[in-house]
Amino acid sequence: MPSASERTMAAAATPGATPAARVSAPRPVGRIVQVALVLVLAAGVLSFPALAPNPYILSAGIVVLNYAVLSTSWNFVGGFTGYISLGHGALAGLGAYGTALLVTRAGLPSFVALVVAALLVAALAVPIGFAALRVRGASFVIVSIALVLILLLVFQSWSSLTGGSRGLVVPRPFPGLLRPEHHRVFYFLFAALLGLALLAWWLIDRSRFGLGLKAIREDEDKAEALGTPTFAYKLVVFVVSAGFTGLAGGLYALWFGDLDPVFQFSILTGSYMVLMALLGGVRNLFGPLVGALVVGIALEYFKVEFGDTQLHLVATGVLLALVVLFMPDGVLPAVGGLLNRLFRPAQSSIREVTAGELRDQRAAEAQEREPVDAGTTAGSGEVRP
Amino acid sequence: MPSGALLFQSVILGLLLGGLYALLAAGLTLYFGIMRVVMIAHSAFLILAAYLAWWSHSRLGVDPLLSMIVTVPLFFGFGVLLQRMLLARLRPVTLTMMSVLLTFAIALTIEGLLGYVFTGTQRRIQLGYGSASFGLFGARIAVVKLIAFGLAAVALLTLYLLMKKTTFGWALRATIQHRDAARLVGIETERIAGYGFGIGLATAAVGGTALALDTTIYPSLHWHWIGPLMAIIVVGGLGSVPGAAMAAMVLGLTQSLLQIPLGTTWAQTIFYLALFATLAFRPQGFFGGRLAQRF
Repeated sequence: MPSASERTMAAAATPGATPAARVSAPRPVGRIVQVALVLVLAAGVLSFPALAPNPYILSAGIVVLNYAVLSTSWNFVGGFTGYISLGHGALAGLGAYGTALLVTRAGLPSFVALVVAALLVAALAVPIGFAALRVRGASFVIVSIALVLILLLVFQSWSSLTGGSRGLVVPRPFPGLLRPEHHRVFYFLFAALLGLALLAWWLIDRSRFGLGLKAIREDEDKAEALGTPTFAYKLVVFVVSAGFTGLAGGLYALWFGDLDPVFQFSILTGSYMVLMALLGGVRNLFGPLVGALVVGIALEYFKVEFGDTQLHLVATGVLLALVVLFMPDGVLPAVGGLLNRLFRPAQSSIREVTAGELRDQRAAEAQEREPVDAGTTAGSGEVRP
Repeated sequence: MPSGALLFQSVILGLLLGGLYALLAAGLTLYFGIMRVVMIAHSAFLILAAYLAWWSHSRLGVDPLLSMIVTVPLFFGFGVLLQRMLLARLRPVTLTMMSVLLTFAIALTIEGLLGYVFTGTQRRIQLGYGSASFGLFGARIAVVKLIAFGLAAVALLTLYLLMKKTTFGWALRATIQHRDAARLVGIETERIAGYGFGIGLATAAVGGTALALDTTIYPSLHWHWIGPLMAIIVVGGLGSVPGAAMAAMVLGLTQSLLQIPLGTTWAQTIFYLALFATLAFRPQGFFGGRLAQRF
């Protein structure tokens, strides 16, 4: 099954507009279905506040949206480069505390503080990424986990600044609003941030930069040998990811209004992001969002049903293990593959073309090429699948 | 300036702690050598062993040290099964990343189950000899700490002899050095790799029992161990057992000495500082480690 990324790769690998047009042209129906699905999704997300029966459900929706933003932000690193970070929870925590401290100590307006904090988190991601990304694979994961543990230590111990375990209260940005209105406003803010993150992911996915990142994911040695500045690319995308994660964390701080190091610098937050993105599918734009819908709702359910027991840890662990073992590509590709098998049984990875079709195709290509390079023999060109 | 006796006591305690770190880091290094797997669940199994020791003491009334008769073979079996049934099934291309996630998932599951079965209450073994201590040049050293160190030292020595003197150890080292070549000379690398994981996890059983002797345990304690342990194996050079042991002793000692001016919480940050400094300036680690070059 050709995934979206493979198609863009094929298109970018052969310069000129014709191959791209040829690849995407045969599936206009698929394109329409895609656009329709996106519109339905957007409509569903935007109409949720009107449909939510009570403020609790609305706040649960905000939590799920927050997870969606976080795991989409995570997916900048995880999806493009294949580097798994378990420490993105710490970046969100930094964004949250940064926003809160800038509001309470420096007296900045809430949303200015949010942006400044996110920029600070992105700046901090440079040295972290420098240490973590110089070497391959394992060290990156180790650093990402260490980041969570060290920040938890620091923020718990440094109580004169952070309030320590007593927590830190963040003043509300809209003091006049009642609770349900407050939720409603922040629901749309989170939705806007999600849209922004998805747009950025989509743009990178289609760019040359994204192509380089995906080359790192597939084979870092070969990518490096072909001249991709792998370290710089990895660092840039890590910083972008950290910036979005910081924004999500800061927005959470403004919404929730009360921060505790144990929850802000929890290894669990990071693992939820990974689980959501993997479950949905890291190579898909909407994979993390789908994963966040499933896992986020399940988590809320667990909170209501089992309360304070540790069963949600077991459920998270078992689900993560199952996804890693049996569905490392995620739900979306699995469902897509199933649909393809059910509705288009004729299509397989090996494309069968009869001699007659091939002759017609070549003739068409020759005609297309005629005005550009009239001198060359059109028929001699190799046939690209 | 702290008194000489206090310094001396910190040095002794640091060395005793370093011994335990060294044993546990040796297990982590073993997994990494065999399969390039960073085993996040190592310390979760450590806490599991500690809980089993506590349980056998408080419910069955046996000495916690005797619980090792059950936990060591049990953990060996777990390790073999873990490697053969789970890790070997992952795709080789993405093995490094996916194995981290898989072992992370196992760690979460163990933590959750411990919390569910034993609740989050902090537990501590009350031993008859728990408060006994003896003086040495003005330093007070608890007997249980010495026992813990003795356990770790014996286990490390056994591991060393096993690796260097037996046919199995020879096969295991061959598997670590060059898997394909080992297979060519007739070593059943799959089975050896499984046993290697079993031995790694058996070190967690020994370490857990030693830990339970003088530490208050709770389900989420393993996060406080996995961070320092991962820092140790990176500083030591991933994949090098002597390097890990050296790094464990040095960092354990440093942590213990830093506790005098900084207190226990801030002293822990030395591990993470060492980790970041190592990766930024000398990514292959400080004590050799040929494998580390590529990771």
